[in-house]
Amino acid sequence: MTAHTSAPVTATPRWLVTGEIGLCPCSSIGRRRKGSYLAKTIDGAAGVVRQALFADDLAKERGLLQRIEPRVKVVSLLALLVVTALQRTVPGLLAVYAVALALAALSRIPVGFFVKRVWLFIPIFTGIVVLPATLSVVTPGHVVLPLGSCFGHRVGVTSQGLRGAGLIVTRVATSVSLVVLLTLTTSWSRLLAALRALLVPRMFVMVLAMAYRYLFLLLGSVQEMYVARTARTVARADARGGRRFVAASAGAVFGKATTLADEVHQAMVARGYRGEIRVLRVRRPGWTELVWVVTMTVVAVSVIGLDRALR
Amino acid sequence: MPCADEIILSVHDLVHRYLDRYTALDGVSLDIGRGEKVALLGANGCGKSTLLKVLDGLLFADTGTYEAFGEKVTEDALEDEQFSRAFRSRVGFVFQNADAMVFSPTVREEIAFGPLTMGLDTDVVEQRVVDTLAMLDIAALADRAPYQLSGGQKKRVAIASVLVMNPEVLLFDEPTAALDPRTQQWLIELMVELHHAGKTIVLATHDLDTLEVIADRCAVMSEEHQIVRTGTVGEVLDDRRLLLDVNLIHERSPLRRA
Repeated sequence: MTAHTSAPVTATPRWLVTGEIGLCPCSSIGRRRKGSYLAKTIDGAAGVVRQALFADDLAKERGLLQRIEPRVKVVSLLALLVVTALQRTVPGLLAVYAVALALAALSRIPVGFFVKRVWLFIPIFTGIVVLPATLSVVTPGHVVLPLGSCFGHRVGVTSQGLRGAGLIVTRVATSVSLVVLLTLTTSWSRLLAALRALLVPRMFVMVLAMAYRYLFLLLGSVQEMYVARTARTVARADARGGRRFVAASAGAVFGKATTLADEVHQAMVARGYRGEIRVLRVRRPGWTELVWVVTMTVVAVSVIGLDRALR
Repeated sequence: MPCADEIILSVHDLVHRYLDRYTALDGVSLDIGRGEKVALLGANGCGKSTLLKVLDGLLFADTGTYEAFGEKVTEDALEDEQFSRAFRSRVGFVFQNADAMVFSPTVREEIAFGPLTMGLDTDVVEQRVVDTLAMLDIAALADRAPYQLSGGQKKRVAIASVLVMNPEVLLFDEPTAALDPRTQQWLIELMVELHHAGKTIVLATHDLDTLEVIADRCAVMSEEHQIVRTGTVGEVLDDRRLLLDVNLIHERSPLRRA
């Protein structure tokens, strides 16, 4: 059979064969504007994906915590969290924090990245909450920084208030560091396997796993829609247009998610799924885990002893 | 047409409508013989995927019948645990959208999902997973998460997750769609190899270029959701009028066959 190419394929409108007036030949002299809230939100979503991928890279490093069996790691880091919660002195908490930093370094996590990841949010969330507690009106005591007077009383920052706030901030930072250590050194799949082994219901773990897996897919869809819109946006889109796009894309993503959910269920049924889930065996703890548990117990007891001595 | 005593899948006068309104299959009848390679041909939206889902017992006929291995396949029959297990282990389905098939946290767990739900012993499953990973050359991906895989890798994992159950019949929905030429060729060769290993293959496609390799019989579906012709690949490809009528080719479409 031969191809025929002479006849026109479609009736081409006249405007389609005429060139459009393009950019001003005098180059880029127009007004410049910053990205919209929409662009920032989409960039944020892309950042979440990038961060998750980077975190998975760290979980594959051959560091100390990466070698520990996930169930043992979850339980031991939970125990360290309990020890952190029981500390009543700042030096005691700093000792646990130092342990967390050492574990990060031994697990090949860039220490600068690890510290930044924790301390970037602590002042915002905890710092603001504990700020009033440093004042003499909330925590009476020796005023170290006078701020004025109110109804004849001296108001200022007290040393007792500072100590209390320091204790809370250090405790939160140490606790968050331990959780970040766990999530950075354990891939999502292994963390889920550990949860399964720790008697969290299988169906709950399965739903969690699938939600996480398809979140990436749907985030990708949102990004694609946004890029397609940007590629066709010539003039600057106003906020109303942005809102419309968000509403339309939310609808589209919801539709996609529904169709996908149907297909995923069919794919599961096609492979014999009848409501019950079985999983492969997880690795049994060995000598490495035994040494790890003993070391962590010694660390926990020493830190508790230090805290008691300093009280 | 296959000999009657060899028929393993058979649909007769099948009608299926989505939401009781949109007709997807309208009086479709088709027999599939053991060890055949059958291609369902048709334009987009003609009902090929729906027919494959009926053959896999995922959708059911509004009217008409479907028999697999001599047993009627109905929603009620698949409620029976023993029948469901037997049917699911004998018929495997590779979806067009590999993302829908790769839902587990890792590739290894994905491949193990089917045999584990079938109730196979964990040791056997582990060995089968290792063998399948090696066969499809994806051992390096075993502990990777699905979102870290490319389209071609996801397709391989999806095929592995079906092959590991060792089904007699393999259903492929648009197997080569959206794959790069290298992966397409790999998949075509795999299907031929599986056919030589005795598997029955049914695939939905509109890729006419590879048809002679991947099928020995075709069922052509019209846009009216009916099977308008069954015949050998040669017979179907030579009937240009038929291919034009079902909107599979354009008037100016070249065909490789002289």
